[in-house]
Amino acid sequence: MMSVKLSYRNILRNRRRSAMTALAVAAGTQALLLFGGFQSYVFAGLESGAVQRSGHLTVYREGYFLYGAGNPVDYGIDRYPELIRLVRSDPVLHPLAEVVTPTLSLVGIAGNFSPTGSAAKTFLGVGFVPSDRARMRQWDEYGASSASQEVNLDDGDPSTGFVGVGLGRILGLCGRLRIADCPPAPVSAPRRSAAGATPQDFSYLQEPGDAANDAHALLPRLDLLAATANGAPNVVSLYVKAASPQGVKELDDNVIGMHLALAQQLVYGRSEPKVTGLVIQLRRSEDLPLARTRLQALFAEHHLPLDVREFSELNPFYVQVKRFFGSIFLFIALIMGVIVLFTIVNTMTMAVLERTTEVGTTRALGVKRRGVQRQFLLEGGMLGALGATAGVAVASLATLAINHAHLTWTPPGNAQPVPFHIALFGQPTLIAATWIALTSVATLAAWLPANRAARLPIVDALRHV
Amino acid sequence: MVPLPSSSGVSPRPSPAVVRLDEVEKIYRVGEVDVPALRGVTLRIHPGCFSVVVGPSGSGKTTLLNLIGGIDVPTAGTVELCGRDLRTLSDDALSEFRARHVGFVFQGFNLLPVLSAYENVEYPLLLLGTPASDRRRRTLAMLEAVGLADQAGRRPNELSGGQRQRVAIARALVKGPDIVLADEPTANLDSQTGAAIIALLHEVQAELRTTFVFSTHDPQLMSHSDETFAVRDGRLVSETAGAAP
Repeated sequence: MMSVKLSYRNILRNRRRSAMTALAVAAGTQALLLFGGFQSYVFAGLESGAVQRSGHLTVYREGYFLYGAGNPVDYGIDRYPELIRLVRSDPVLHPLAEVVTPTLSLVGIAGNFSPTGSAAKTFLGVGFVPSDRARMRQWDEYGASSASQEVNLDDGDPSTGFVGVGLGRILGLCGRLRIADCPPAPVSAPRRSAAGATPQDFSYLQEPGDAANDAHALLPRLDLLAATANGAPNVVSLYVKAASPQGVKELDDNVIGMHLALAQQLVYGRSEPKVTGLVIQLRRSEDLPLARTRLQALFAEHHLPLDVREFSELNPFYVQVKRFFGSIFLFIALIMGVIVLFTIVNTMTMAVLERTTEVGTTRALGVKRRGVQRQFLLEGGMLGALGATAGVAVASLATLAINHAHLTWTPPGNAQPVPFHIALFGQPTLIAATWIALTSVATLAAWLPANRAARLPIVDALRHV
Repeated sequence: MVPLPSSSGVSPRPSPAVVRLDEVEKIYRVGEVDVPALRGVTLRIHPGCFSVVVGPSGSGKTTLLNLIGGIDVPTAGTVELCGRDLRTLSDDALSEFRARHVGFVFQGFNLLPVLSAYENVEYPLLLLGTPASDRRRRTLAMLEAVGLADQAGRRPNELSGGQRQRVAIARALVKGPDIVLADEPTANLDSQTGAAIIALLHEVQAELRTTFVFSTHDPQLMSHSDETFAVRDGRLVSETAGAAP
């Protein structure tokens, strides 16, 4: 108790120096907490975006993940409605799963052969159940407010879909889809009349009934070509409701989203429709390991050759960003740690120098070396604790101010700006770890001066002026 | 003053000594040069004595007191205090020994500036782990004894030089040590305050029968001594029973 009293009073003895030292610790704490809070918010946003798009878990046929992306026919999951029922009715998975929905990925060629110009391009297509997709976009466990912007399709209208903004631009749909940033192309697109037989190459493949639909007369139409299960080319018409920004140029230039039924019609024709994946979105991310384990057990139990992948495996960007931010956080933490270290070393060295006679006196009175050492370590720790506590308080106030300032930013990979938030208050571990780490650094930093004080010969210390 | 028969200054007495120094040497190394501070000092100090070490500046008085108090170690020879050879004690054991048996009064008072007079006096009892109630009783009694009961809450910078030295004396005595070592305790005080401090020391010593060893130039202090040791150039040149002539 006397040691604590002495430490406290010694800290107050040179108020200005102690305040500057504590401020350095506070600044370090604040920087770490604000960055850590921002990082948490970014992670939550990225995770939310990924989970909204692709769920927590995706079930594939074995081998699809590595080899099957170009072969949805052979790697498709047949009798998938039964599989959905199996998952939904499982007593373990049922309370965990929010959405269980099929999806079909495909590749093909999209062509716009309107009278005003013609263009064709390869595309990456994804077929989904629109209502399920809409429900998935509502997932917001962390309140990250980054609901992905996407065109709403209708379950009852399988012929509509959306394209990436870049693909819409390439296919000459700028005007009809009101795509921004569409200056006149330096090279004019060939007009249908001048394009020879190209349009007919696709059109003759169209099945009866897929022709222009009156209800979609105002929507631009694309012809989608893909290989069917038996290797024959197949064509369907897609009425494009809108161009949807994807955030990444490669996706913007290639993506087409469509109704699952249309995608199945394109890939499987009249044969049995399949899907390439079963997307499972959970209510809470923390249930992911449990759900994955249960799915694997369930498939093993029913001898189903299926593979389960987590969203982080399907979104390497998410993992890369996490690692990138983790490295920056570590770098900042190291810098702050070094600043705190040297500040405390400097302050405590000055304190030892100024109180050398006192050290000699207390040693003469019977204080052991480790008692002297403990005294200075305690002072370093107290300075660290004071600074870290002040840092937590300032960071909390700054977080409140920033979160109420309605700032926005566009994270990498996002098409739309999102609110700029600091997710500090939901991070007790971050706050506690930062506080403990910087207080520990401050205590450790005092070790060198404390050790020097403890080893001073008593008579030399008493003679010190 | 009685000249000693040998350079060792040995003057054996039959009663058991609280302090025994035998052929003690202390050499300080200053840069590349060895500076002898004490040379072959042998002496005995008996319990309950009011002893004074006198000598000119640089003669080795402070070094002698430091060695007796166990805050410095001799280059050669033996220092025995209360029957313990201090050389045989580890640093921790020596610290405990000092905490229990030795009281110090410094020329510059050396009070802890962040503690009040009360807390400064209480400090040695905390080191001994004295129970709180006993600690309080003894601290207040000692402050009363040195006439500072009404100044207990004041910090050293709020006290006069004489009051500070009284606090330092109370701090040295509160634990009931076997010996109190005072290095020129009146050197930083005016003559009137110094006289008051000497009177206080003498009074306390007479009452407690604690062994007191002083180093001093102060003739007033010398006049109160039971035995006087004169040192010059690191040697004990004389030992006189009673006050120095």
